[in-house]
Amino acid sequence: MTAVPSAPGPGATPVERLPEQAYLRMSLVLRVGLGLALAILGVGIVAHILAFPNATSSSTLSSNPILPYLSLTGLASGLAAGSVDAFLTLGLLVLVATPIVRVLSGFYYFRRGGERAMTAITLTVMVMLVVGILVIGPLVR
Amino acid sequence: MELALFVALLVLVAIAAGLVGSLTGLGGGVIVIPLLVILFGAPIQIAIGTGFVTILATSSATGAAYVRDHLTDLRIGMFLEIATVPGALVGATLTVFLTHANLESALLVALGVVLLAIIPGSLARRHIELPPPLPQDARSRALGLTGEYHDKVLDRDVPYQAARTSPALGVMFGAGVVSGMFGIGGGVFKVLALERFLNLPMKVSTATSNFMIGVTAAAGAGVMVTAGYVNPIVAAPVAIGTAFGAFLGSRVLPTLSNRTVRILFVPIIALLAIEMILRGFGLP
Repeated sequence: MTAVPSAPGPGATPVERLPEQAYLRMSLVLRVGLGLALAILGVGIVAHILAFPNATSSSTLSSNPILPYLSLTGLASGLAAGSVDAFLTLGLLVLVATPIVRVLSGFYYFRRGGERAMTAITLTVMVMLVVGILVIGPLVR
Repeated sequence: MELALFVALLVLVAIAAGLVGSLTGLGGGVIVIPLLVILFGAPIQIAIGTGFVTILATSSATGAAYVRDHLTDLRIGMFLEIATVPGALVGATLTVFLTHANLESALLVALGVVLLAIIPGSLARRHIELPPPLPQDARSRALGLTGEYHDKVLDRDVPYQAARTSPALGVMFGAGVVSGMFGIGGGVFKVLALERFLNLPMKVSTATSNFMIGVTAAAGAGVMVTAGYVNPIVAAPVAIGTAFGAFLGSRVLPTLSNRTVRILFVPIIALLAIEMILRGFGLP
C-alpha cells in the first residue's frame, strides 16, 4: 500500500525557505569541523601509540589521560609542552564544538532572514548548550 | 591486548556502528557501547562517554550530506532542539550522580520495555511509503514547519508539513534525557516523534534525527568530557571509524525506499530493547 504523500493541506503556511547558501554553509561547517577533529585525533592516536609502545588495552582503560587538560590553562600548557594527550583532548573539544558552531550558523541565517521566533529558539538552544557544558560539567565532576 | 591491535579493532567496530547509525538515525552509540563493555571490558561510564563521541561523528559525517541534499529539515530540527538539549543536560547530570547507585538498572529495564512497546506500531506501518497528510497545528503554522525533499527512489519532490508539535516536544525532551543518560543518541525516540507525531516521511525523519542527535550529544558530551568520563585513547579511533562508516551510510540512504529504512529500524529497536533489559538485570 502506498499512502498519499503528506502534501501541505488547507490553511498551511507557505513554505519558509532558508537560502541555499545556508544549507551549503552548514554542510561546510560540518565537513570542516569533523575533518579538523579527525585529523587532530588521528595524528594524536598514532603519536600516542608510538610514545607508549608497551601500553595495553587494560592499562589504557584503567586510566584517563584527559584529566590534567580539562581546564583552559591545563590544556594550553599541555599543548605548549607538546603533550600528545593534550592534543587528543583538543581533538575531542573540536568534535564537541562542531554541532554548536552549526547551531550558531543557523542563528545567523534565521536572524538575517528576519525570522524572530526561529532566531529566539536557536539562541535559546545555543545558550543552553554553552551554559550547560561550562557550568554543569565542572560542577558534577 | 596490545594497544595498536586494540585501536585497530575499535576502528573496525566503529565503522559498522557508523554505517548502521547513519542509515537508521540512531547514531551508532547503541552498537559501540555494549561492544566496548562486552568485548573490551571498558567501564560503563567510559563506554557511555565514547557513545557520545560516536554520535557526534555520525551526526557530523551524515549531516554534511543530508543537509546539502535538503533531506534534513533544519527548521524542524532546530525547533525540536529546544526540548532535547535541556533533556540531555538533565540526563548527563543524572548519569554522573547515578554511576555509583543501583537505580540505573531499573531505568534500563524500563527503557527496554518502552522500546519493545514501539515495535508493533512500527511493524503496522511497514508498508507505508509516505504518511497520509495531517493538518498543521497552530505552532507548526506560526513557525512555518513545512518542507519538501526530492525522493530519488520515487523520482519526484515530496512535500510535507509538521503536525502535533506538543506531544512531539514531550517525546523529544524524553529523548534528550535518554541520550544524556545512556549516550545512545536517543535517535529511536527522535525518529518516533518525527515520524509518528510530526507525521514526516521516514527519510526526512532519520536525516533530521541525525542532525539533531549531534546537537543533543554535544550537550551530553560536553558534560561527560568536562566530568572526565571520555577517554581519548578509546574515543579517537571510535570517532575515526564511525565517521567513515557514517559517510558510507549517507551515500546509501538516498537510494533506499522509506519502507526499507523502516524495516532496518525495527530489528535494531528490538536489539536495543533486549540489550537494555539484559544490562538492567546485570547481564552482559
